[in-house]
Amino acid sequence: MNRYSETLYDAWGQSFAVDKVLFETHTDHQHLVIFKNSHYGRVMALDGVIQTTEADEFIYHESLTHIPLLAHGDVKKVLIIGGGDGGILREVCKHKNVESITMVEIDNAVVEMSREHLPKHSDGAFDDSRFQLVIDDGANFVAETEQTFDVIISDSTDPIGPGEVLFTQDFYGNCKRCLNPGGVLVTQNGVPFMQADELISTHERQQVHFADNTFYTAAIPTYVGGVMAFSWASDNKDLRAQNLEIIKARFEQAELAVRFYTPELHLGAFALPGYIQEHLK
Amino acid sequence: MASVSLPAPPVTISPASEAEIYRKAIETHGSPLLVINPAKIRRAYRSLNDALPGVGLYFAIKANPHRAVVKTLAECGASFDIATSGEIELLREIKVRGDNCIHTHPIKRDKDIRDALRYGCTKFVVDNLEEIKKFIPYRNRVGILLRVSFPNPNSPVDLSKKFGCTPDNAIQLAETATEMGIKIKGFSFHAGSQCACPENHTHAVERCAELLMHYNETHEQNMSILDIGGGFPVPYDNGTPDIESFCAPIRNALKLLPEHIAVIAEPGRFLVADAATAVSTVIGVADRCDGRWYYLDDGVYGSYSGRIYDHANYPIRVFSDETSVTHPTIMAGPTCDSIDVFAENINIPELKIGDLVVGEMMGAYTNATATDFNLFPRAKIIESTDAAF
Repeated sequence: MNRYSETLYDAWGQSFAVDKVLFETHTDHQHLVIFKNSHYGRVMALDGVIQTTEADEFIYHESLTHIPLLAHGDVKKVLIIGGGDGGILREVCKHKNVESITMVEIDNAVVEMSREHLPKHSDGAFDDSRFQLVIDDGANFVAETEQTFDVIISDSTDPIGPGEVLFTQDFYGNCKRCLNPGGVLVTQNGVPFMQADELISTHERQQVHFADNTFYTAAIPTYVGGVMAFSWASDNKDLRAQNLEIIKARFEQAELAVRFYTPELHLGAFALPGYIQEHLK
Repeated sequence: MASVSLPAPPVTISPASEAEIYRKAIETHGSPLLVINPAKIRRAYRSLNDALPGVGLYFAIKANPHRAVVKTLAECGASFDIATSGEIELLREIKVRGDNCIHTHPIKRDKDIRDALRYGCTKFVVDNLEEIKKFIPYRNRVGILLRVSFPNPNSPVDLSKKFGCTPDNAIQLAETATEMGIKIKGFSFHAGSQCACPENHTHAVERCAELLMHYNETHEQNMSILDIGGGFPVPYDNGTPDIESFCAPIRNALKLLPEHIAVIAEPGRFLVADAATAVSTVIGVADRCDGRWYYLDDGVYGSYSGRIYDHANYPIRVFSDETSVTHPTIMAGPTCDSIDVFAENINIPELKIGDLVVGEMMGAYTNATATDFNLFPRAKIIESTDAAF
């Protein structure tokens, strides 16, 4: 029986039974594979690191989408950086009041491959009339675009790898430049129990640009090592200080079909464990 | 550049008819040629594996980064000792997994670390504090080995001169690393290259065993790996011990280690030296005061580069049915440089322009360090499992 062992850490790691390899490529100095696993469904790995699985992707995508959108309450324009698998897009499309969704992906091949091999991630969202795909480097796009957005979601790969430019102070500054007043930037920020340095450096770099900067978390089984952190950066401190009744009302009005998100969890996600809080002092 | 006088290489004079298979090869592929025999790589891997049972063999790619060599060793089950991002690219192409590798270059740029991590290689070797500091951002992802230096002035290449911390310093470095949150998982050493005797290995194993046990008894973190490096000799000439007798005392020394310590080695030369044969052609002849000079189409700027960099004395084979009359002979490469001489002080029968000269045991540090000097093309590399190669 074939196995796929993650090579993220020297001291430990997770390993999957590979029931069938669906797609594999060794191009552009990268090794990308999509395989089937009996528990996690289709699993995509890049350079020895699990990127997404069909079984637990909803936790990640719902956290990174519904928390900023419902905290804001009046989102018309959304920018997704990365996110080529279409999972974030699928969740954003569930919000009826959103008028336009721009996704900036560096390589159209990622989108094409995901449509073919991870169709449940996008679930038809690539055909949504509000959606526009831009093929560009996300860091370059936010530096040059004249457009502005209410929410920016950075759904990047690891900072050790192609996503490196999406963790720089310049990138965060440019995101702020194209946020509407009161808008919010959220980013994938790794697993702090194992990658505390990533959290610390993001905090240092985002603080420079935003009046309010913190993290919220969710536990995604295949991002091993405890909860995953998402950075939260906005000039409007009230966005994450809403009371439960307001969030509940917005959630009910939005009529979202979700499996992870709840209004209670939304507020609770910002309650950080001590070992993460100590890095934010 | 001044030429350096070299000891005479071992020379074999074979019957002219035996040149036939080499002649056919250059008729098909051109001259000069370097012929790699994967069967000999497999044989060397098996013999070292038998001589060092239980020791993980990490082939030092630098010895011969040819794709066929690396692929053959991957098929044998070897792991890999890498030092550069270029070597990582080669392994990616052959689909070797990163967790099957150790990055052993003691001096790294940040990009080298990141490239290795992206490839999935999480084991690294360092030998000083500045290098340890470079791993702070990656401390939870990596396992680090400390390279300890055991000077070996008797080896042709003293690998402990350029790299390695002193044994006295090793424990303190490991402690400093631990304070920075960096896990030191063991020690590595390089006893030398083409070692004439195993005493440097056994001495280093004994000293490292002491260090490991002392460290594990006195610290909360436990070390779990000893990397005994390379240096396993090949018989360029008759004086070399066979691998079984060379390794027997090392095996004994390794018994000093507690059972949970994993042992790995980084053989380069031993796995590949015997597996390549150079075939070149006489392109010029001149009688000079010091003897008869033959100018070949390959030399020290090409496949015979190890004559300079590696101090290797490759056995030479010539073909003639006239064995009674021989001449003092010098063999030179084709470039304009006077250092380009790969055999001196030999006595061989007369050769003619167009005759062949075969260099044997030319698989290690040959094509790896060949240059394009004078824009002479490098020897073409082909594979053959014919016993002649």
